[in-house]
Amino acid sequence: MFLRLVADSFTRRPKRKLLTLAALALGMAVATAALSVSLDVGDRLAQEFRSLGANLLVTPEADSLPLEIGGVDYRPANAGAYLPEADLGKLKTIFWRFNIKAFAPILETQIKATPVEWVNGGRNVQTHPVIGTWVNHSVKIPDGTTYTTGIEHTNPWWQLTEGTWFAEGKNECVVGKNFARHPPGFSSPLGPGQPLFTYMANGERGPTLEVVGILDTGGLEDDAIIVPLDLAQKLAAKPGEYRRLYVSALTKPEDAFARKDPKTMTPAEYDTWYCTPYISSIALQISQELKGTDVRVIRRVAEGEGTILTRVRTLLWLVTLAALLAAALAVGASAAASVIERRTEIGLMKALGASSGLVGILLAAEQLLVAFVGGGIGYAVGILLARLLGQKIFGFAPEPKLFLLFVVLVLASLITLLGSAYPLRRASQYDPAPILRGE
Amino acid sequence: MFWRIVRRLITANYGRLFVILLALGAGAAITSALLNLQIDAKRRLTTEFRALGANVIVAPRNANANSGGGTLEESLLAQLPNENAGKFVPAVAFLYVIGAVAKAGEIHHEAAVIAGTEGQGLTKVRPGRRTEYSADLEKDPSACEVGAQAAAQFKVHAGDSLHLRNQGREATCKVFAIVGTGGPEDTQIFAKLPTAQTLADLPGRISLVQLSVTGTPDSIDKFIAALSQQLPSADVHGIKQLAEAEGKLYNRISGLLTTTVVIVLFLTSLCVMAGMSNVAIERKNDVGLMKAIGGSVRRVVRLFLAEAILMGIVGGLIGSAFGIVGSIWLGKAVFGVAAQPRWIVYPVSVGITILVSIASAFPLRRLASVRPASVFRGEA
Repeated sequence: MFLRLVADSFTRRPKRKLLTLAALALGMAVATAALSVSLDVGDRLAQEFRSLGANLLVTPEADSLPLEIGGVDYRPANAGAYLPEADLGKLKTIFWRFNIKAFAPILETQIKATPVEWVNGGRNVQTHPVIGTWVNHSVKIPDGTTYTTGIEHTNPWWQLTEGTWFAEGKNECVVGKNFARHPPGFSSPLGPGQPLFTYMANGERGPTLEVVGILDTGGLEDDAIIVPLDLAQKLAAKPGEYRRLYVSALTKPEDAFARKDPKTMTPAEYDTWYCTPYISSIALQISQELKGTDVRVIRRVAEGEGTILTRVRTLLWLVTLAALLAAALAVGASAAASVIERRTEIGLMKALGASSGLVGILLAAEQLLVAFVGGGIGYAVGILLARLLGQKIFGFAPEPKLFLLFVVLVLASLITLLGSAYPLRRASQYDPAPILRGE
Repeated sequence: MFWRIVRRLITANYGRLFVILLALGAGAAITSALLNLQIDAKRRLTTEFRALGANVIVAPRNANANSGGGTLEESLLAQLPNENAGKFVPAVAFLYVIGAVAKAGEIHHEAAVIAGTEGQGLTKVRPGRRTEYSADLEKDPSACEVGAQAAAQFKVHAGDSLHLRNQGREATCKVFAIVGTGGPEDTQIFAKLPTAQTLADLPGRISLVQLSVTGTPDSIDKFIAALSQQLPSADVHGIKQLAEAEGKLYNRISGLLTTTVVIVLFLTSLCVMAGMSNVAIERKNDVGLMKAIGGSVRRVVRLFLAEAILMGIVGGLIGSAFGIVGSIWLGKAVFGVAAQPRWIVYPVSVGITILVSIASAFPLRRLASVRPASVFRGEA
């Protein structure tokens, strides 16, 4: 009988129930879409922020003070300390190894270079900065696998305007756009396919490089020659060594806890800090793995990223909250309305001997049924919306999260029950007689 | 008579009135709060990006950057516009000198980059974290700030003095802060511009100017174009690393916000509408009675429309006011600065609410087919 009464109320007024259902489904769709975007957006945006480039810089610990102005180190090549390239695979063995998105070592040196061959030695040829680095380099990880990374991942604004990147192990190079436009001692611009003759400091011939691409970075690299790291090591006579390492890591924005000095933390706090991908804990883990290094946080990148990420995330949570609130109120209103309008029915049921409790349970069961169906539909629509949104903005659809279905169903039931609670209580107090009389 | 009926319609059932106003008001509050916050957030976002530091550089034209030789007139700093889109533009002139440095009293000097600075907002163009800082010492004309790595090398702390030397010219400066940036600035010593000019023997010259320009990517491009025209002797360019990333991120984030807000507003309106329609259907009895005593369909529909518009106005006015006040507070919660209320948001969200309210009276159109007799018999 109970079930029949519930079923009856659906079949007898399908339109009314449909409207309540629609309100619920829409509300829950908003909630699902907003929730899944908010849950996903932190990770997606953190990825996007990697376009700002590396956020960690690794330099030798026992180094002399670099004389760096605008990205060029004015120290002579024999001054200062170097780091072994062979250690770099260890970066992918730290606790947060999967958060290390890319890294690239840099070795700078200088060389005399010109596009025209000098028969009587290169004594008068101008000296140019040479930057040795990795592009698409496979690194051997101690666990036996390899990992491909390079400067084009740590510094995504390094873009080739022409040609391709150099290949490792070959005498190939990429030249900065300013260098290409006015090559020293050469009247016409330099392009891919042309040779570049090099001379050592004493005027002896060095390897002849083939220009394969032109680089635009907007920085001082535009005046430099960029070569594979192994070639730079040969030119600088520093086999297997590098001087600077850029690391691009996915991090959690720093909060008040992360700013505490790890030395003053309790062991439990220290564990939490160590096992959270804060930029400072990743920096510590890298310096533990790469001996003799000084790992510094590039503050402008890390902090800019931190504040903006936190703000955007809070903003989206607020939008989500607003959506939830709107959904709750509208659903509540429609639930309340559907109870108010059934006073006659309630009166009749009570006149026929139903207790207030039974009437309440009957109506609640109905509302819950609506909540489950509406919540389910809303979830499906919301997930679709979130996919569309993710695809449009990030070109990547968020995975549907099943636990959201649970959240949404609970939410829908709570809202409908809350919305109908007050009118239901009123309804159960009705005196059947005046209602049936139509008063 | 018309208005009397409308009044009775509205006041007849306070429970219903409350439910309708709550739904409409909540919708209006959320509409106005989100619209206001959304306008404000986009503007604020461009400000937030300045945490990344300088994004525009004015450097000497045609100077071979490798030699570090070219310099500019110091007077150029005064010619720079100090505002873009109503926001202050911090601009700092730098003069770089490689000199020999030692802690005062020690004999062994070591080479280091000394940067003379002049202008407003050094901390804005060169973001970092000051580990030691003394505001009192900063006022000293010979004050200087030391990068973290340089400070460790020379073993100096705030309050110590440094001895600077270059080709026989000498100067001393008092350390007022230690700054960590993670960049090359960590190895530099930031002195006052005249100190560096004396050391370099380049009076009235500077190496470059760094500016931190607030604005959308487009407005920054315009700023650069205007400035290069104004300063034909200098090369004005944006820092590509920041310009590209900022543009991309700005578009992503503002796209995300706009789309989310539009979807949320659209669904919220639909949701409020569905809820309200449910309330409206309940009016069958009223309609039946009106028709039974001779009300024409048009007149009945007009009655309900008048009611819907009134409700929309009242709900919209109250709700939107709450929403705007709420968004001011929310802006404070998110950005630490109260969101500025935009008055355009108020009429817009009231308008949307009235539209929603009218649209939710839509099922009433079907009431034209209500047959009074069957309503009174209690048939649905």
